[in-house]
Amino acid sequence: MDKLKGTLQSLVQPLLAVVIGLIVGAIAIVIVGGDVFETYYEMWKGAFGNFYFLTNTLARATPIILVGLGVALAFRAGFFNMGSEGQMVLGALSAALTALYIPGPGWVKMIAAIVAAMIVAGLWSAFAGWLDSRFGMNLLITTLLLNYIATLFAGYMVAYPFKDRTGSAALSQTEMIDASVMFPKLFQGMTVHAGFIIAIIATLALHFFIKYTTKGYEIRMLGGNPLFASYGGISRGKLMLISMFVSGAFAGLAGASEVLGTQYRFLDGSLSSANFAWSGIMATLLANSNPIGTAIAAILLAALQTGGMGMERNTDVPLEISSIIQAVLILFISAKFTISFIKRKKAGAKDGSAV
Amino acid sequence: MLLEMDSITKSYGSVRANHNVNFNLRRGEVHALIGENGAGKTTLMRILYGMESPTSGQIKIEGKPVAFHDPTDAIKHKIGMVHQHFMLFPAFSIAENIVIGGEPKKGIVFNRKQAIEQTIALSEQYGMPVDPKKKVADCSLGMQQRVEILKVLYQGAETIILDEPTGVLTPLEVKELLASIKALTAQGKSFIIISHKLSEIMEVSDRITVLRDGVVTGTVNASDTNEEQLSRMMVGRELIKLKRSERRDGKPVIELNNVSMKGNKTKPLLDSVKLNVHEGEIVGIAGISGNGQSELLQAISGLSSIDEGTIVLQGKNVTGASVKKIRDSGLAHIPEDRYMWGVSKEATVSDNGIMGHLPRMSKRGFLNSKAIRTLVSDWVDQFGIKTGSLHTKAQYLSGGNLQKLIVAREIAQQTPFLIAAEPTRGVDVGAMEIIHGELLKRRDEGTGILLVSSELTEIMKLSDRILVMYEGKVVGELDAATATEEEISLLMAGGKAVGQA
Amino acid sequence: MDQLFDVSLFAAALRMVTPILLAALGGAICARVGLFNVGLEGLILIGAFSAILGNYLTGSIAVAILFSIGFSLLFSLLFAYMSINLQANVIVVGIALNFLAAGLTTFALRAIFDVKGAYYDKDMKGLPKLDIPLIKDIPWLGDILSGQSILVYAALIIVFVLQFYLYKTVSGFRLLAAGENPVAARSLGLHVKKIQYIAVLICGVLCGLAGAQLSLGNVTMFTEGMTNGRGFIALVATMLGQSNPVGVAGASILFGFMEALSYRLQNFSIPSNITSMLPFVVTIIAMIFFKDSGYKNEAKKSSGSSR
Repeated sequence: MDKLKGTLQSLVQPLLAVVIGLIVGAIAIVIVGGDVFETYYEMWKGAFGNFYFLTNTLARATPIILVGLGVALAFRAGFFNMGSEGQMVLGALSAALTALYIPGPGWVKMIAAIVAAMIVAGLWSAFAGWLDSRFGMNLLITTLLLNYIATLFAGYMVAYPFKDRTGSAALSQTEMIDASVMFPKLFQGMTVHAGFIIAIIATLALHFFIKYTTKGYEIRMLGGNPLFASYGGISRGKLMLISMFVSGAFAGLAGASEVLGTQYRFLDGSLSSANFAWSGIMATLLANSNPIGTAIAAILLAALQTGGMGMERNTDVPLEISSIIQAVLILFISAKFTISFIKRKKAGAKDGSAV
Repeated sequence: MLLEMDSITKSYGSVRANHNVNFNLRRGEVHALIGENGAGKTTLMRILYGMESPTSGQIKIEGKPVAFHDPTDAIKHKIGMVHQHFMLFPAFSIAENIVIGGEPKKGIVFNRKQAIEQTIALSEQYGMPVDPKKKVADCSLGMQQRVEILKVLYQGAETIILDEPTGVLTPLEVKELLASIKALTAQGKSFIIISHKLSEIMEVSDRITVLRDGVVTGTVNASDTNEEQLSRMMVGRELIKLKRSERRDGKPVIELNNVSMKGNKTKPLLDSVKLNVHEGEIVGIAGISGNGQSELLQAISGLSSIDEGTIVLQGKNVTGASVKKIRDSGLAHIPEDRYMWGVSKEATVSDNGIMGHLPRMSKRGFLNSKAIRTLVSDWVDQFGIKTGSLHTKAQYLSGGNLQKLIVAREIAQQTPFLIAAEPTRGVDVGAMEIIHGELLKRRDEGTGILLVSSELTEIMKLSDRILVMYEGKVVGELDAATATEEEISLLMAGGKAVGQA
Repeated sequence: MDQLFDVSLFAAALRMVTPILLAALGGAICARVGLFNVGLEGLILIGAFSAILGNYLTGSIAVAILFSIGFSLLFSLLFAYMSINLQANVIVVGIALNFLAAGLTTFALRAIFDVKGAYYDKDMKGLPKLDIPLIKDIPWLGDILSGQSILVYAALIIVFVLQFYLYKTVSGFRLLAAGENPVAARSLGLHVKKIQYIAVLICGVLCGLAGAQLSLGNVTMFTEGMTNGRGFIALVATMLGQSNPVGVAGASILFGFMEALSYRLQNFSIPSNITSMLPFVVTIIAMIFFKDSGYKNEAKKSSGSSR
């Protein structure tokens, strides 16, 4: 009974946030002069209307899920890893370069690309963790700053040394990877690719890891009450580096997935402008760092984004409405507006204490 | 009569912190309020200072009934309170701390020069010299307390409440404080002092009121009584001695030698502590909380480092070792603050239960849910832990049931050495009996237990040997079979046992 | 051969310092009352957009500045309400506000100006520049100090105003007290919550001005995401300067200078990506040296890192 109550209670907040988000979005639609129902209908169609759009949404959700999972792990351990964007970009770059320049058959290149992405991104993330444990640098700030350094560096790499000089396009991008390294599409003519399968597997794997392994237990306890964790003999420093590394590795995997599955190259700025990493962080916050919830929230956010595009195609309402809805969502999640909070406030007034 | 508190009762739900307490204060007198932890002294004074409202009863100032809604009301009636934990701003100077709230100003500008002048004038008037420009963070605790007293004097207090004023002071600082109190009363101020330190109370007070379990057990003139009589009034209850088997002579499971911890205050947190616990014995550490017991346990369990001395567990030198290593060497630990150290509130009962049991409860890195379920349900049955299910979050368990879980968990470690810190704090009588029974069972099975408790009856009931800690030192060792409550509470309050110098 | 360290570099540096400085001062005030405001980035962005909006609607600089202050104030009120009244995690609220600001400005850019990416009007007047008599005639220094936008001078004046406020007035003293030890402050009867609100609102105003300088101070335009990390650099300046206005100014000048230097280095055939890294790398290196425990502890408490 407790479990049911607990699950219901934890759903109230996100549901309430979604409702409020949609209401604010409706207001914004009215301001722009659109019709609320028609707009939301087009949005629904754009996200799930037919099989093509549905798989589109899933394809978009793939990197968001992966980033979200990594962030979920870090948050569960109690660490504010905000560096997913930089980690993802470095991972994507590494995947592209590995796929292009490592010799061997297609599947070897694919595995190498994925591994390279995860290791590079993981190290970049662990680096911030190291700065925290060695110099006491605020993890939140360092990961944020490292984002910029990472994206600028990657941009440099494809503007000069590894720039695609075949063809006439003067874009900052790598060459296209060989067809043998590309992730297969899941369905003929649809955009969703094997990366989605990886994302689903990763979701389940992380869920099981956190819930059923001893390391997962240690991470949960560390995040829940670090004093309790050290009392029990859990080593904080080591666990921090490991969690940050794995967290970054997920972001790197997300980057590799985009390169190998959708874009087939690394293009400067493509990952940042699509806001994959920040959507991933949003998904985690929405789902309170629960892996399966994160995946669902990621699909929801992806739907808002693809739905927005559909909305833009078929109405006069700009797709940025969906960014407003997303932001409102996150704002309400951050408010600890649960039923129990209100109850506790009322109880506090009854005690009779003056202060 | 300057102020009277008539028939004050304060209840928190079903817990009665004060019951029909009568307390009064004459002008120019020093009236001490003494009692054990939890006797209700601080509650009574919080009511007087307007931080709490009484459930029933009345306060009269100079014969007129008053009702205080917050401290500013009390301050308006010239009552000032110096809290046990100082309410100072470490980064500010002494003068700034004294005048805050009533700053001298020129327009919107804070006239710091005048604040300094006023501080000097005040300190000279009351004979409590301070350096007004010094930062409070750089001051000794004795100096900080002086600042707190000057602060309430600056606010115009005629009645000053001191809550456990000498807890953090060195003997010299205590002398200075007592002298200041005497000087201030000569100038017409009145004091209420909450304390458990009998010798100091005897030296400075005019009258003494003793509280026990929320009730007044006596109000006497200091000149008509002595420390033994006072401690009997503080403690006097019937002792239930539990039957237990003869103490076996075993080898020591843990030895502390010359252990010291400096801390960043003038008094060391631990001062050359030497103690040991043998197989099959319970060593109880008696003492008012705050006399180094917490620091001792943190040092033994590896959560804090010590500055001097050695700790040997099961023959292995574990000085400076990690918590994990120490636990693996044979230590289990029932922590004194269950919410801070003993559980993760968001985690479930079974999650909280397996901390420290991971090697046994996992196979190749995976948690063995079946084994965990069996283990924790056994505890639930054995200890009568009331919980909805094993998946209930720890925050929903009552304090007593949570404590039972922690005790079950740590006892189940089956280690040769067990720390039991305040094992029955906040726990109902039934649970207390169960926990006590389990501790004795472990002792009979050969475990060495270090019991730390601020409840004297618990110490006396369970221990084979009793050590008393006061101000970071072990000030006495008694055989539990022959020790009396008065002897122990005397040592706890800093007094000397009969026969000592 | 272009000189690297010449007058125009320093003049540019002073110009680029200003948004960082203003936001960092705002962050410092928030930090002083115990609120670690990660949302500076979003607040500046709102200010930048609102300034353009105000200018677009009325053509008046005064209105533009009022708009930027007004909307940033509104935003910071949201931050205040959620952190102080609803007791939400200060860090999460800050991050959420950054998302909200990004979404709102992007949406408004489309909805109001019907453009994507950036809005630029070559006829729009930017912030007026002041030529200060006497100073402008000083060789070399005069070219740096004179001719800057009014907000640059305002920022420098505000540094000293805040320094005076915090360390000389009674109100400032109590604000410091509320952050130094809120429990003690409350026991004295100080209204800690009210003081916190005031602090957050001051921060809002300052970030609004920062945004106005950003979008109207040099080239008048608004680009999506134009704050580009300045809000976080400002936060580091706050920490480095130990939330002391003059100290914060010093740190901000360092970072602003780095930003100007990074642009200038592009003239030396160093790729723009590498030069743009400079401010961030320097910021991280600078973080090694800040060791004040106050905000670290605050951040530790809320962000949960560095345990």
